[in-house]
Amino acid sequence: MKIGFPRALYYFDFFPFWTGFFHQLNIEVVISPPTNRQIMDLGLKNASDETCLPLKLLSGHIQALKAVDWVFLPRMVSVEAETYTCPKFLGIPESLLSSVPTGIPVLTVTLNWRKGQRLVLKDLQKMGETLGKSKIEIKQAFYEGQKWQEKFQKTRGAEWNFEESIREIENLSTCLVKPQPTNPQLLPEPDRLKIALVGHSYLIQESYANLNLLKKLREKARVELIQHVDQNEIETNLLELRKKLFWSHSKQIYGAGNKFLADPEIDGIIYLTCFGCGTDSIVQELLSRKARQRHKPYMVITLDEHSGEAGLITRLEAFLDMVERRRVHEGYVSTHGERLDCYSNTL
Amino acid sequence: MGEDKFFLGVDVGSVSTNMVLLRPDNTLKEALYLRTQGRPMQTIQEGIKLLRSRIPNSSEIIGVGATGSARQLAATLLGADVVKNEITAHAVAASRVNPKVQTILEIGGQDSKIIILRDGVVSDFAMNTVCAAGTGSFLDQQAARLGIPIEEFGPLALRSKTPVQIAGRCSVFAESDMIHKQQLGHSLPDILAGLCQAMVRNYLNNVGKNKDIKGPIFFQGGVAANPGICKAFEEELGQSIIVPEHYGVMGALGAAFLAQERLANRPESSTGFRGLKLSETQFQAKSFECSGCANRCEIVEIIQEGISLARWGDRCGKWSLTVGTSNDNKLADQQRGQRGA
Repeated sequence: MKIGFPRALYYFDFFPFWTGFFHQLNIEVVISPPTNRQIMDLGLKNASDETCLPLKLLSGHIQALKAVDWVFLPRMVSVEAETYTCPKFLGIPESLLSSVPTGIPVLTVTLNWRKGQRLVLKDLQKMGETLGKSKIEIKQAFYEGQKWQEKFQKTRGAEWNFEESIREIENLSTCLVKPQPTNPQLLPEPDRLKIALVGHSYLIQESYANLNLLKKLREKARVELIQHVDQNEIETNLLELRKKLFWSHSKQIYGAGNKFLADPEIDGIIYLTCFGCGTDSIVQELLSRKARQRHKPYMVITLDEHSGEAGLITRLEAFLDMVERRRVHEGYVSTHGERLDCYSNTL
Repeated sequence: MGEDKFFLGVDVGSVSTNMVLLRPDNTLKEALYLRTQGRPMQTIQEGIKLLRSRIPNSSEIIGVGATGSARQLAATLLGADVVKNEITAHAVAASRVNPKVQTILEIGGQDSKIIILRDGVVSDFAMNTVCAAGTGSFLDQQAARLGIPIEEFGPLALRSKTPVQIAGRCSVFAESDMIHKQQLGHSLPDILAGLCQAMVRNYLNNVGKNKDIKGPIFFQGGVAANPGICKAFEEELGQSIIVPEHYGVMGALGAAFLAQERLANRPESSTGFRGLKLSETQFQAKSFECSGCANRCEIVEIIQEGISLARWGDRCGKWSLTVGTSNDNKLADQQRGQRGA
């Protein structure tokens, strides 16, 4: 039996859990190929024009799934206590039904951690009936999935690249010899700028749609990501909010963003969002206000269906120029290299 | 240095292509403002030809800077020493003209930006996001629709006594709103003044959101030629606006300053400029769709008399090719740890 898993949205956060889960059940997981122009075009054509770019991409990925017995579209209502996912996530199995290739059934399950593990298991067991798996088997698969997810989180915490972390997980399922990660922990380069890139994982790691922003930024600066921030630190940084954020992604973004704002090592923050994102409209504004108070360079990049890079590159270059020039100006003395003299007022 | 050595600054934007020749003593020798009209390569060549006819034969270009949305193309054609984004170029030019400037309002053909400077350093900036409403091309289009030359737009707007209210959020809505007002019989100056106000309101709400706008304020870019917009800005901000002498070519001027600085920092290197005879050679642009993978990238290739100068547009880097000094500069930039200019 083959289950089709679209490489979009929750793939970037929860793929390890699901692949571990299905692996334990002896079900093969087929992932759609990395986003390319064809997938994006398919998504843009098929999805409702009112939805956001990540959902349009998901639609494209669903259509790209070939030769599978099921298309797996979980309804991830809540992934931890006291939070919800974005409302658009909640409606995925229905709102994207038209994208599913005809003849392929949809496999879905409601995952709601607000109600606790016992009920999550119960819902999974209900899905197990469709797959012809017993309650015991589902329970074992659930624990296996959690193990894989934990492993993934740990490598992320150790600042592995997303691609490396996910490769590690994919290798688990094919039982290959475990590769040693090419440790991205580069030598410290205090002279390079350190930029924090915050935003939803499915935008930051989606290198096709974000026009390779992460790679472009890494060529020019050291990059800090939300996923590398310790969970306890995120929680501490959320305490000052008068009212709790109840979207899980937003919580991570605000908590980590707040930490980056206070971190003197971070030279600037770039918030990557997509056009029409409801949760970002609030969190982005919250962070921008704090950034202004702290005089931290801050820029928002809004993604949509762009394929021209010029606008992105101009903004990125201008931002880095500004951050660099500000650092020099604020009395930072470079340990090597040239410095600007008092007659120079260029950037 | 003699009187016949110049730095060339080029700003190739969506609507206009600007070129300046800067003397080593920082004074301006020539400034050109040409319409790009969707043909940046021909326009650059035409500009070089014009410049060549205006300077003595013994003249020498000792440094070239390129900026604007077609800066990559311009840099390839010219062999530029510095390739910089428009924000940096505009900020450099403004702070050279007046080191005290704290705010730059810039409205160009397809984009608008605000740059906040403190002590001559960019401390914040913003550009318009997904929409090009309220930029120069919209004014152009409306002027054409009303049958008035764009040069008369501003002076006409100034004659208005009671500007009408026009929706400025979106240019499509603005246009239909203007048509309604016309049909009701409002006078042309009142409608034009209303449009100026709507544009300024939209700019300040959108681009200028949350920005600490302090004087001296510079207003530059092609739209600064429109006194109607200047007046609307002054009314809205309650401060006077300075339109610098070379407002239309500030980006190009900044690029020239950057080229000057680059070469001053590295006296051993000489310019990569490909010569003033550039206007006589044939450039060709070819484009094709790569079929290597599902991405189907559109590749552009620039060819000079049969020799491929540059290719870009691919995501994977398979086709990318840059030759000459622009490439060396890029490498040098990376090696120098991305220090500014």
